[in-house]
Amino acid sequence: MSGHDHTHDHDHDAHEPLVIEDEAGNIEGQILADALQTLLVERGLIAPGEVRREIERIESPGVHLGAKIVARAWVDDAYRERLLKDGKSAAAELGIGVGEAQLIVVENDAETHNLVCCTLCSCYPRSILGQPPAWYISKAYRARAVREPRAVLEEFGLAVPDDVRLLVHDSNADMRYLVLPRRPEGGEGLSEDQLAALVTRDCMIGVSVVAPVA
Amino acid sequence: MKPRFDAGDRVSVLELGKAGHIRTPFYVRHKSGVVLRRCGAFLNPEDLSVGNVGGPVVPLYRVGFAMTDLWDEYRGSPADMLCIELYDHWLTPAAPEGAG
Amino acid sequence: MTRGYHDIGGDAAGPIPIVELPWLHWEKQVEAIRNLLGDGTRRMMSLDELRRGFESFGEDKYRTLSFYRRRIEAMIDVLIEKEVFTREELDAAIADARARWEPSPPCRS
Repeated sequence: MSGHDHTHDHDHDAHEPLVIEDEAGNIEGQILADALQTLLVERGLIAPGEVRREIERIESPGVHLGAKIVARAWVDDAYRERLLKDGKSAAAELGIGVGEAQLIVVENDAETHNLVCCTLCSCYPRSILGQPPAWYISKAYRARAVREPRAVLEEFGLAVPDDVRLLVHDSNADMRYLVLPRRPEGGEGLSEDQLAALVTRDCMIGVSVVAPVA
Repeated sequence: MKPRFDAGDRVSVLELGKAGHIRTPFYVRHKSGVVLRRCGAFLNPEDLSVGNVGGPVVPLYRVGFAMTDLWDEYRGSPADMLCIELYDHWLTPAAPEGAG
Repeated sequence: MTRGYHDIGGDAAGPIPIVELPWLHWEKQVEAIRNLLGDGTRRMMSLDELRRGFESFGEDKYRTLSFYRRRIEAMIDVLIEKEVFTREELDAAIADARARWEPSPPCRS
C-alpha cells in the first residue's frame, strides 16, 4: 500500500469497517437506480413493471425459511441426514427453493461450532435467509472472521470453549452455507412450529446459539 | 475435466499470478490442506467475469486448512479449521502431513 | 503475488459494526436489476462480471462507496463496456431523474 499517498482520501481511512450512505448518498443512489432502470426499459431489455415484480420476489425469502428447515431437522432424524447430505434437495422437500448452486448445511454439536462468512464479497444464502445483515458485509467481519473467529464471536457475546472445535466457512465460490444449530435444552415438549420460532438468523450464520427454553 | 482429487487428499494451493477476477483468496495461497468433499463442476468464474459462458466446467472442492497453518499467531483450538471452495486448476497434490 | 483490493480475508480491522440497517428501495432496485440482467433469458451479466466490475474500478472507489453503490457503479461500467448505452446517455438519464427529485425535496420532519 505504500508508494503513493492517498492524501485526498484521509477522511475515509483504510480501516473504515462499514461504509453507510448518508441521506444525500441515498438520494444519489435512488437517482442512479432510477436512471439505470429507465435506460434499460427504454432499450427494451427490461419490461415496465418487471423490476417491481423482481423486488417482490427477492423481498419474500427470509429467516422463516431457514428456521423451518432447522426445526424439521430437529424433529426428524432421517430428514436431518438428508439435509446434511444434500441441502438443496432437502429444502425442496419442504417447498423451499434454493436459488444458489448448492446449499451445504453444517451441523453444530457438543464438539463443533460452525461460523459462515465471505471474505471476497458477501456471498450469503439469500434464497433462504433473505439479505445479509449490514455487519456481515462489513469490512471488519469479512477481514477478521477467518483469522480471529473466536475474538469475533466474543464481540457477538458468544464464547466458544477451547475444547470445542471451530469451523469457519468462507463461502467464496458456488456453495452457500447454513448452520444447523443445536436444539435448545428444555424444548422437548415443543411442536415443530414452536421450535422454528426459536431459530434466529444469527444462529444460522453461527454468531449465536439458540437460547435454552425457560 | 475429471476431478483429480477426492476427499482425504492433501493438496496445496498454487499462486497462479492471475490478474483479474479470481475466487481464490490470497490468504490460502501456498497453503496445504485436505480435500473435504467434491462439490461438482462449475463454469470457471475467471471466464464468467469476462462474459465467456462457453465453458469448460471445472471441478470444485471444499478444502479444509488448519487455522494454525494459516495464521502464525492463531488463538484457539489446534483443531480449528477454515473450510473454503477451490477450483481444480488452483490445486496441486501435496505431500502427506509429516512427510515434509 | 496478485492480490485484489477486495481480497481482505485476514486483514486487521476494527470491531465488528454490529448494526442492522434497513434495506432501502434503491438498494432493492439494484439487486432486482442485476438479477434480471443475469437471468436465464437475458444472460447479460453474470455475478462474476459484476464482481469484476467493482474489483477493477479502483481501490479508492471501492473503499469509499457503500455496498450497493459499488454494485450499481460496477453494473453501469459493465453495461457501458458492452455498449448497451453510453456514458453520455446515462448522464442524460441521470439529469432527468435528478430533475424529478429536485422540484420537491423530500419532507423529513
